[in-house]
Amino acid sequence: MQQHLGRQDGVQKVEVSLLDGKVQVTLKDDGRVDPARLIKAVYDSGVTVAEMDMTARGHIVKDSSGGMVLQTQPNQSFAIVPNELSSGLESLAGTPAEITVRGQLYKKPAGKKKPDANAPLRLVILEVVKKEP
Amino acid sequence: MNTRKLALLLLLGSVIPAVSAAQIKHIEMRVEGMT
Repeated sequence: MQQHLGRQDGVQKVEVSLLDGKVQVTLKDDGRVDPARLIKAVYDSGVTVAEMDMTARGHIVKDSSGGMVLQTQPNQSFAIVPNELSSGLESLAGTPAEITVRGQLYKKPAGKKKPDANAPLRLVILEVVKKEP
Repeated sequence: MNTRKLALLLLLGSVIPAVSAAQIKHIEMRVEGMT
């Protein structure tokens, strides 16, 4: 699994804890990594991702349907699942303010073994780490 | 016209660095089926 993940673009280091099944992925400075590819790489190595959390910095924008999105790169964004924390960020939508959040990006659906590669990853914000005006 | 161009340049100058600084910082996963 370390080799599969280590080969992915943007990955600098992979640490695996056999005791609790946790995998820490250290990213390169440019932060250009595709989380969906990491999930697939883990699956290809013979194990399944139960949960994926990420810490990311970006801007809040609104999509065409009015939903909030965290834009981390010009070509990479994650739809935000509405919750108490996300509602506090609504006023930042469309502003140049940058936020750093920690959130859950993926949780394995009950009963499914294979991850659905076509399902979009949606961010459940667990913590607002930093707000920068 | 020149004022408009200057304003546009200033706007792009402030937005582009902000966007390029945004990124994924860290990823943590919990996996199942590891032996």
